[in-house]
Amino acid sequence: MIIALGLSVSILISIPSGIMANQKAAEQLSANYDAYLQDMNTEITTAATLLEVSLSPVFTAAGFGGRGGSGGGFIGEFMTSESFFNETVASDINNIDGVATVIPILEKSEGTLETRSTRFGEFEFLKPEYTIIGVPLDDFILSNYPVLPSGIIEGRTLSEGDSGVVLLSANNTEYFGVGVNDQVNILGKDFTVVGVYTTTTIGEMKHLYMSLSEAQAITGIEGEISSIDVYAENEATVGSVYVDITAIYAEFYVNTAESRLESITSMAERQVSLLEDAETDLLEIQTVAYMEIGIAVVATSLIVLFTMLYTVRERTQEIGVLKAIGFSNGSIMSQFMLEGMILSVVAGLVGIVIGTIGAPIITQLLLTGLVPSTGPESQFVGRQIGIPGLTVEATIATPTIELLLIVFAGTILLGVIGSFYPAWRASKTSPMEALRRE
Amino acid sequence: MNELALKTENIDKIYKLDGRQVRALSDVTLDIKKGDFLSIMGPSGSGKSTLLNILGCLDTPTHGTAFLDGVNVTKVAEKNLCKIRKNKIGFVFQTFNLMPWLNAIENVELPMDGTKKSKIERQKRAHKLLEMVGLSKRIDHRPHKLSAGEQQRVAIARALANSPAIVLADEPTGNLDAKTKYEIMKLLGKLNTEQGTTIVMVTHDSKVGSRANRVLFLNDGKLLKKERKGSHSMTFKCSNCGKEIQAEDTFCRGCGKKL
Repeated sequence: MIIALGLSVSILISIPSGIMANQKAAEQLSANYDAYLQDMNTEITTAATLLEVSLSPVFTAAGFGGRGGSGGGFIGEFMTSESFFNETVASDINNIDGVATVIPILEKSEGTLETRSTRFGEFEFLKPEYTIIGVPLDDFILSNYPVLPSGIIEGRTLSEGDSGVVLLSANNTEYFGVGVNDQVNILGKDFTVVGVYTTTTIGEMKHLYMSLSEAQAITGIEGEISSIDVYAENEATVGSVYVDITAIYAEFYVNTAESRLESITSMAERQVSLLEDAETDLLEIQTVAYMEIGIAVVATSLIVLFTMLYTVRERTQEIGVLKAIGFSNGSIMSQFMLEGMILSVVAGLVGIVIGTIGAPIITQLLLTGLVPSTGPESQFVGRQIGIPGLTVEATIATPTIELLLIVFAGTILLGVIGSFYPAWRASKTSPMEALRRE
Repeated sequence: MNELALKTENIDKIYKLDGRQVRALSDVTLDIKKGDFLSIMGPSGSGKSTLLNILGCLDTPTHGTAFLDGVNVTKVAEKNLCKIRKNKIGFVFQTFNLMPWLNAIENVELPMDGTKKSKIERQKRAHKLLEMVGLSKRIDHRPHKLSAGEQQRVAIARALANSPAIVLADEPTGNLDAKTKYEIMKLLGKLNTEQGTTIVMVTHDSKVGSRANRVLFLNDGKLLKKERKGSHSMTFKCSNCGKEIQAEDTFCRGCGKKL
């Protein structure tokens, strides 16, 4: 009886915690997304003369947290493809009127191939462990353009003439297990770590920067690059440079500040609709949750009701004796109410134990469609939106103290409600009838 | 009037059973003096228990009045009857009806719950009563650790907890063996003679009934007009012709009068 009551109470605890966890996840996602869009906006406006040229669509701004996702398309944490082209394209573009500078970049991910089943079928993905970014180490470029990441936390950034050295993102130091001045072996060649930079909240990817020529050498794609940052002389010439590049290289994707702004606008719109969808989903889940809470509330009171009715029936003779020796209706009623309350207090405590331990499991059983509590699936929201690194932390349905207290108080209240009728019946039992019963 | 512990006037009790009216008591008038030891006898279904329930304020008569210690209890509201039961009446049941989870002394203290007595006073009183019934060494025992006779002693001590005006005992020896029966009757007799407790006992056991000072007979809800002839014997004389009659008789073998 107590266990049944406890389970019922644990449902009362688990479901709201599940919902709260989901809301927290949604809020976290929304906040992350907002921060992401904000950062991108800043980058775009500060790089108004930048045109990004690559063979794959790019939707992040250059220089963001180092570099964005140019050179490959991402679905969540997975990279689908990387395309490379001859670096002579860079010098050709440099000859176009209105172009101030071209910066050839090689970005190549190293990792493991993984087969993942998705809702679209089974796919083989390269799961990047880290990404090598090769940039020309030229003083003029380095001092005038945001090619290398800012936010150095240890050591120094790269500079002209550097060779055999790398700049690591902070999360990469953990991955390789090295720090500044340590040696690190990348694809068979030893490098010295000269500096470490912070990764932003969004840029979860592990990057390492080195000179373009060394990157080409160790990845084995000599003379090839993955993208070119083209800087126009001024904002007025961006348009003509764009027209010229796309006229010569039809197969290339060219991102201007304008198109990046457009894409960020559409991303913002997409965010709104996604969040709206998420809210609708959440509302649907909540409706189910409220029904389940309602059922649990009714179940709790019914269990108390029937337990107490049974108790009163079993103890009819005792009630008769108590009445015969002078106990008032009120005192008999309050005794049974008290017993009902003790029952619900014990059940409440059992429920709190079960609920606190079992909330994630109970939530998953009762609220399918919630953000799963553990494992890689917990990042599915971020993956759905399709932004690299934009994920939410695993949301585990953890009951708060307030919730536990509210449910505990509620259980006692339900105990009072559930034992009211049995206690009333006990108090109204005729002592004569009660004594006659053997 | 004050000399009377209990008095009933023309009490009728009519039950409705399956739409039929059943007359359980018919025109019962009786006086019970303070300090009396009365037994009410009669075959089962004669209305003994109904009468005892009415005397004990557990039930109300359909017609007629009942006075307890000078108070017309038939006029007392249901919610106040519990106070009368608590303070004026002590019940002793056939099945003892002790609370199984309370030990002997706690069972005796139970009726004092909600009275003005302090916890210590209650304990003292309960201890004294248990001593009186000869159980001072078993006050910590729960009912299942006590013999049937001992349980009934605890029940008697409990009945006396609030110094009631009257003790009502419903077949108090019904569940006891011969030896224990004798002991319990001796105890009730002692209470009556030494403490002056008024006792009304219902029984169908003539040996038990004979221990009382006065025996009344109920048959078919009516009080029979016969009285016991001598002390500790179960022969009676007819109130009409004076001829000796048997306890079981419903009419006088001498004059033929319905008893």
